[in-house]
Amino acid sequence: MFCYNCGCHLSEHDFCTACGADVSLYKKIMYVSNRFYNDGLEKAAVRDLSGAVNSLRQSLKFNKNNIDARNLLGLVYFEMGEVVAALSEWVISKNMRSDKNIADDYINMIQSNPTRLDSINQTIKKYNQALVYCLQDSKDLAVIQLKKVLSLNPKFIRAHQLLALLYMDAEDWDHAQRELKKCENIDRNNTLTLRYSKEVEQMLAPEDGTKQTPKHKKDDVVRYQRDNEVIIQPLNVKEQKNSGASTLINIGIGLVIGLAAMYFLVVPSIISNANNESQKTIKDIGNQLDVKTSRIQELESELDSIKADNDSLQKELEAFVGTDGTIKTMDSLLEAAQNYLDTEDAVSTAEYLETIAEGVNLEETSDSFKGLYNILVQKIGPTVSATYYSTGYSAYKDEDYQTAIVNLKKAVFYDAKNGDALYNLGNAYRMSENAQEAIPIYQKVVENFPGTEKARKSQQYLDQYVQQNAAN
Amino acid sequence: MINFEEELKKFHPSLEVEDAEEAIYNQDLTDMADLLVKMIKESEDKQGEQ
Repeated sequence: MFCYNCGCHLSEHDFCTACGADVSLYKKIMYVSNRFYNDGLEKAAVRDLSGAVNSLRQSLKFNKNNIDARNLLGLVYFEMGEVVAALSEWVISKNMRSDKNIADDYINMIQSNPTRLDSINQTIKKYNQALVYCLQDSKDLAVIQLKKVLSLNPKFIRAHQLLALLYMDAEDWDHAQRELKKCENIDRNNTLTLRYSKEVEQMLAPEDGTKQTPKHKKDDVVRYQRDNEVIIQPLNVKEQKNSGASTLINIGIGLVIGLAAMYFLVVPSIISNANNESQKTIKDIGNQLDVKTSRIQELESELDSIKADNDSLQKELEAFVGTDGTIKTMDSLLEAAQNYLDTEDAVSTAEYLETIAEGVNLEETSDSFKGLYNILVQKIGPTVSATYYSTGYSAYKDEDYQTAIVNLKKAVFYDAKNGDALYNLGNAYRMSENAQEAIPIYQKVVENFPGTEKARKSQQYLDQYVQQNAAN
Repeated sequence: MINFEEELKKFHPSLEVEDAEEAIYNQDLTDMADLLVKMIKESEDKQGEQ
């Protein structure tokens, strides 16, 4: 304790040993301040936080420099959820004594965690908003807001009390009581809490003196101690009669419930499995059916193709086979050979051979057939060629070029060495203005009969065609 | 029976962290010791005048 006048340390005397100032009253004020501090400390220790706040505030009214009282007041405020009030006390405390002050630790604890500080600020803002909602008669919104506040700061007594008040206004006494219990757990002697609790208890108290019931129940038991165990034996409890029958009934009910459960739980599962298997079987059968259908379609198409081939072959066979079943072309060839051997008439034999050539593809005939046919052609070729040449040339001279072309072509067919026939065939094509046929004929003349007059003239005609093409 | 409106008047907005500084500055820190010292000084002044 220091002298208010000179600041020296005071002794047990009622005056300052340094300046002589009378400090008796001053000392009493300091003692009263300390007394209130002790009282506040005791109340805080038993969680009478409201009482502690009152005592500590009294202590500070007597001595504002009582650092311990101020720090404890801040701590009590903090415990009640009044963080800003707590911070204020600690800041003032630190301002009064900057060294060796536990308030410094408290302030650092809050300021070193920005998230917590922000959370505290949000809590306060939400509480104030809830209060605004209450004043605007938006009680539901206020309740929601206060629940958020309490989720962030569960020790905020004022929020608990306001929430309890809102529940009481809504006649939700159970919830109100729950909130007030939470208040009491934090601050046991809060006047407002106690008043609200009394109101809520009155509302929840059973009527007509039924409060006696618990006492009755308490009397219905006998307590006694055996060794270390407390035995509680209920009285007036009679065992039910017909317990055997009721047991049987219960077992029966249990069986019925079990069967019902099995019917409703197991049977649908079995049916579902059976359905699934049936679906699977149907699906497999469907797949097999698809495979077989595609196979049938494939076979049908093959059958159609085979039928078409068969028809074609049948027609070919009919072409070869006469009405009497013998091969027509073979017969014709034999007739041609017989005719030539009998008459040695080249022209009539040639008619046979031409008939054979029109009815059959000589390349597909047998070797013996082709051999006989070629022998006949060689035998009659020059004679027949000369005959056709004569006819064709006469037609050419008469400017009947189509007849000339037909006969000259036959002349060349029967004798490829007949250069005149070939040359005049070219001329016949040229005169009938068929350059596409004339040009290859002239080229053959030039190639096969070089150095002849026919070849020279053929070359001239070829040159003329080239010039005409160039001019066009 | 508790009157909600009347009870609501007992609840006041809480100070936000931003307002703490102003609250600290505006706090009246005068205590009994200050008053005593002031009274003693006034008494001494009166005695000096007489």
